[in-house]
Formats: sequence, structure tokens, C-alpha cells
Amino acid sequence: MALPRLRTVVLVSGAALLTRRALKRRIARSPLWPMPALAEPVSGHSRRRPTTIRRLLITERVPIADGVVQLRLEGAQLPRWQPGAHLDLVLPSGLVRQYSLCGDPDDPGTYTVATRLVEGGRGGSREVHEQLQEGEEIEVRGPRNRFPLVEAEAYVFVAGGIGITPVLPMLRSLAARGADWRLLYGGRSRRSMPFLDEIEKLGAEDGRVTVVAQDEAGHPDTAAVLADIAPGTAVYCCGPEPLMDAVTAALPEGCTLHLERFSAASTDVADSGAFEVELHRSGRTVQVAAGQSVLAAVRAELPHVAYSCEQGFCGTCQQRVLEGEIDHRDELLTDDERGDSMLICVSRCRGGRLVLDL
Amino acid sequence: MSNTQPAAVASERTPLKARKVSFAWEKTPLHWVPGDPFTTHTINVLHLLLPAGERWFIHVYRQVLPYIHDEQLREDVIGFIGQEAVHSQAHDDVLPHLRELGLDPTPYTAQVDWFFEKLLGDRTLPPGRASKWWLMERVATIAAIEHYTAFLGDWILNAEALDRKGADPTMLDLLRWHGAEEVEHRSVAFEVFMHVDGGYRRRVRTWAAAFSALVFLWQRGTRFFMENDPSLLDGKASFKAFHASGKQGTLPTTGAILRSIPSYLSRSYHPSQEGSTAQAVDYLAHSPAALAAEARTTGTS
Repeated sequence: MALPRLRTVVLVSGAALLTRRALKRRIARSPLWPMPALAEPVSGHSRRRPTTIRRLLITERVPIADGVVQLRLEGAQLPRWQPGAHLDLVLPSGLVRQYSLCGDPDDPGTYTVATRLVEGGRGGSREVHEQLQEGEEIEVRGPRNRFPLVEAEAYVFVAGGIGITPVLPMLRSLAARGADWRLLYGGRSRRSMPFLDEIEKLGAEDGRVTVVAQDEAGHPDTAAVLADIAPGTAVYCCGPEPLMDAVTAALPEGCTLHLERFSAASTDVADSGAFEVELHRSGRTVQVAAGQSVLAAVRAELPHVAYSCEQGFCGTCQQRVLEGEIDHRDELLTDDERGDSMLICVSRCRGGRLVLDL
Repeated sequence: MSNTQPAAVASERTPLKARKVSFAWEKTPLHWVPGDPFTTHTINVLHLLLPAGERWFIHVYRQVLPYIHDEQLREDVIGFIGQEAVHSQAHDDVLPHLRELGLDPTPYTAQVDWFFEKLLGDRTLPPGRASKWWLMERVATIAAIEHYTAFLGDWILNAEALDRKGADPTMLDLLRWHGAEEVEHRSVAFEVFMHVDGGYRRRVRTWAAAFSALVFLWQRGTRFFMENDPSLLDGKASFKAFHASGKQGTLPTTGAILRSIPSYLSRSYHPSQEGSTAQAVDYLAHSPAALAAEARTTGTS
């Protein structure tokens, strides 16, 4: 009797020891065994970073044309950007202004922006010119890109004055890959037009660049530059409103138009018109009155729709948009998310109609 | 019968609203409790668990909204969801900073993502009873987890030992802002559970699962950080170190954790019986992160 019992004890404890050793070895080989991982990690990989303040050091402030200063901002591990992107600067007074990035997108430690002093403007450019000095820190948000460089067979750029800033990194990128591009660059005088030397060098062959200074040759002829372009050409324009209107009017059939507007982003629901929202899955349509939020209109039909902060920062009310042009007024969503979704508590519609996947 | 019913303390109730916050992480060091990597990393596990965990809370609560037929509770849930969403964002935003400091948390957080999104996510179940059962099971689990977040929130608001040790003020503000909101909304998850189900057996069962999972994930997270910390040669985590930190006041004491168990399992338990809403609201009125975000918002207009 005693012998089999002893044998059982020895066998069981031996097995236990072996199992323990095997487990320890297994864990030593891969310490996070045995839980599986999500194939595409989510936590810590969001591009939103809405609660982080980023302060950059102004390491250089140089005048690069009449009335234009260029700022070099340095920080660690800056998010990458694509040509056309802009940065929000939070100025010392609390004003927030958007400036196109005009440096090298592949430099992870530096952002470069250039700003023109606007006489009688809303005060942002005056503050940049008078108050931002080398050695100071400034809070930034972004970058964001509402003006991305799309794939196209050919490109035509029309830039007016400081509107050259988002275009410049595009030209560098297109020149580097040998794409077909042309630029019409207008300004008050050659002395007031930034980056002229570099641009003329980029377009030295084939006469890609036409520079029109108002004091020498009057206004640029946008109709002429757009008259004989091939279908499939992407037309980019950034500059004063009349210039963008002229380009819009002269755009030939079959070409795509890309405009960059720098208006102060409005977050005021009161300052907005009425439109219609179709709730695709429910098969209903609601009217959003001027001054009313999409959320309020949708809640009347679908009382269980999720929401919370009603100010565009918590993200609970994000909904997929199937059709319609969105007027984004939140600060949370990334450019990718903005392509096909919106926060219905603050964001609105640019046209007359939105279709939501609700 | 009176002692077998959850007894809410009415004066502890307060309207809930998400607060916008912003933090500047550049100056926060890896060992933000100076000279105490074990305490630092034990608390850091929060940044590993909460982004995915709180996203999951919201995912579940969106589904439970149609089951809530009490207007006041509904409003509490709406406020709760927004607060949890901002908590999740704020802890998520710490992770890139840890990576910059040389401690990449991705191997661990990808598992936590799997845990909440797959294991505890929406299963392929027939609509009707099975789906509702799984939803109620998760609602009860959230109530159990919120018992511990409220416990930790109350603890961090009173953890003066961390101030004495010179803990990084930004990290301490993140933890106390979060802790204060957890104390502020500590009754919501329990009341949702009592409203939609409230079964005592389910409460005990989900508590056991939640407590075991928390202990498992937490010790694993602390060990992960200690072993991968680039500044530690032979980083080890042990229960002995945990008990010692508890005695010093830089972590909750083992005794307090053990006492929290019968309190949740008592039939007369209600979260409003523990913690102080007044203390939480007072902290939130002065939290630098909330004030900074408020200044930014008013500055833009």
C-alpha cells in the first residue's frame, strides 16, 4: 500500500515541477504569453491626441520678403505632415490662427511657417509680427490638412502673395518626382513675394513658373493659364478671395479644383444656416434649423442616439456620413476621420443636405 | 428589510458634465515618483488599462441607453459617458510620452485592446435573450470595476504621501482630476446595473470575474513595466514591494483593498456611502488641467 502512494506523490510532484519549469521557460521566451494581442493596436496609437498641449521653441525669426516673416519652430518627435498642411498657432493673447507649413515635411524636429502682416486685419498677424521673438515658446495644434496633394496627371497652381506657402512644399515634392506642373504666382511687387528665388529655380527648365508682379504687369491672367489645360489636371489655388473666385469661374471641364481658405473656424452654432439631414438606416429625414445642432434635430427622431459633451471634444456623438459636404467645427477628429464622419453636436453642413448612417 | 436594500446618500448626488482638459507632458520624467520606480509603474498600469477599458464602457453604455427609463438616470449616464471618453483620451495621450522616454507600452496595450474589444466585445449571439444576457453581464462588470475606480479616486485625492515624495505635478493632476470625476460619478454604473437588472447573483459573479481580471492584469502590467524600464537593470515587481508602498501611503494599503470586497458584496451597498462628492468637486474647481483647457477655449472665441 505504502509503495503505490509514494509513487503517486512522486509522480504528481514531478509533473507539477516540470509544468512549472515549462511555464517559466515559456514566459521567459515571450514574457506576455498567453494573451493574444489585437493585430492593429489602438491604445497609444491614436493620431488625435486631444488633451496634449504641444509647445514649440521659436528658434529663428527672419524677414523673407516685405511684410513677411518666417518662423522656425522646434520640438521633439513632431507629427509628420504632408504638403498642404497647416498648423494652428495659439498666440499669447489666446487668438488661434492657422498658417501653412512651408518647410521640409520629413524633418521630425522643425516646423516652418511664414506670415504676412495684414494692415487692418483681425490682429493675429500683427501679434505674430510684433510679439513672437526668438527664444520664446508657443503653443501649437495640428498639423491638419484640408488641402492635400492628390494624384493627378498634371498640376496647375495659382498662388497669390502669401498663398504661396502651402503650395511651396507641393512644388518641391512634384519637382523631386518629375511630375508635370505649372505655377502662376502673383503678388503686389517682387519684393513682397516670398520664396521667389527658390520657386524660379524649381521651375527653371521648361518655363513652368509665371511670376506676375502687380506693379510691373498688373493682375495675373488666370483665364489664360487655365484655358488650354488637359482634362484630369488638378488645379490648386490659394490667395485672396477675388483670385480664388476667378479661378473657380475659369475652371475647365474635367479638371478638379482645390482651394485653401483661411477663415477663422466658427464654433458658434448660432452663426449658421438651415439644412436637411437624411437618416439613412431609419429612412427618415429631419430639418436642421439655423442655430439648431444636428444632434438636437436627430434626437427628436432617435431619442437613444449617443452624445455627451455637446461641445465637440468628447467624441461620443461621432457618426458616419454617407453623403454631403461637412462643415467640421470640432477639434477632435483627425483628417482621416473627417473624410467620412462628423461630430453631430457641433459640426454642420456646407451644402443643403447630409446623409447620416443612422 | 431596510438593511438589505441599497441606501443612496442623496446629498452625494451632483449633475455630471464632461470637462475638457489639457496636459503638457514634456517635463514629466519616466520615474515621476522620484526614486520609486515600483510605485511609479504600479500607478502607470492605469495608462495601460484605461484607454481601452473606458472605450469599452462607452461601447457598452451606448447599447444600454434604450433600456433606461428613468430620465434623471439617463442624464447621469450621458454625463458619465462624456467623462469616461475624456479620461480614455487623456490616459491614451500619456502613452506616446512613455514611448518617447524609451518604454514602449504597445506590446502590453495591444493585449488590453484585444481583451476589451474581442474577449469582452460584442459576441456573435442570436438577438434576444442571449444578446441581452451578455449585455447585462457587461453592465454588471462595469459596476464592479467602477467600485474600484471610485475606491482609487478617493484614495488618490487623499494620497498626501505622493505630494511629500515630490511626485510630478502634471501626472498627479491627471490622476486627481480623473479620480475626482470617478468619485463624482461613482453611483452611476451601480444605479444603471440596479435599474436594468440588479440581480445579486450576477453582482457577485461579475465582481469575482472583474476582481480576478484586475489583479491579473495589474500585476502583469507592473511586471511588464519593471522588466522593460530602460533605466532599471534588474527590475522586479513583488507583492512585498506593493505591501511596503501601501504602508508608506504611496499606494493603497492591502487592508483597504481587502475591506473593499465585503463592502461591494453587502446587500445594502450603495457607492454614495463611500467617498466625498464635495472633496471631488472642490478639486475639479482648481485642477490645473481643467483650468488650462478652459482658458484655451475661452481664448479662441
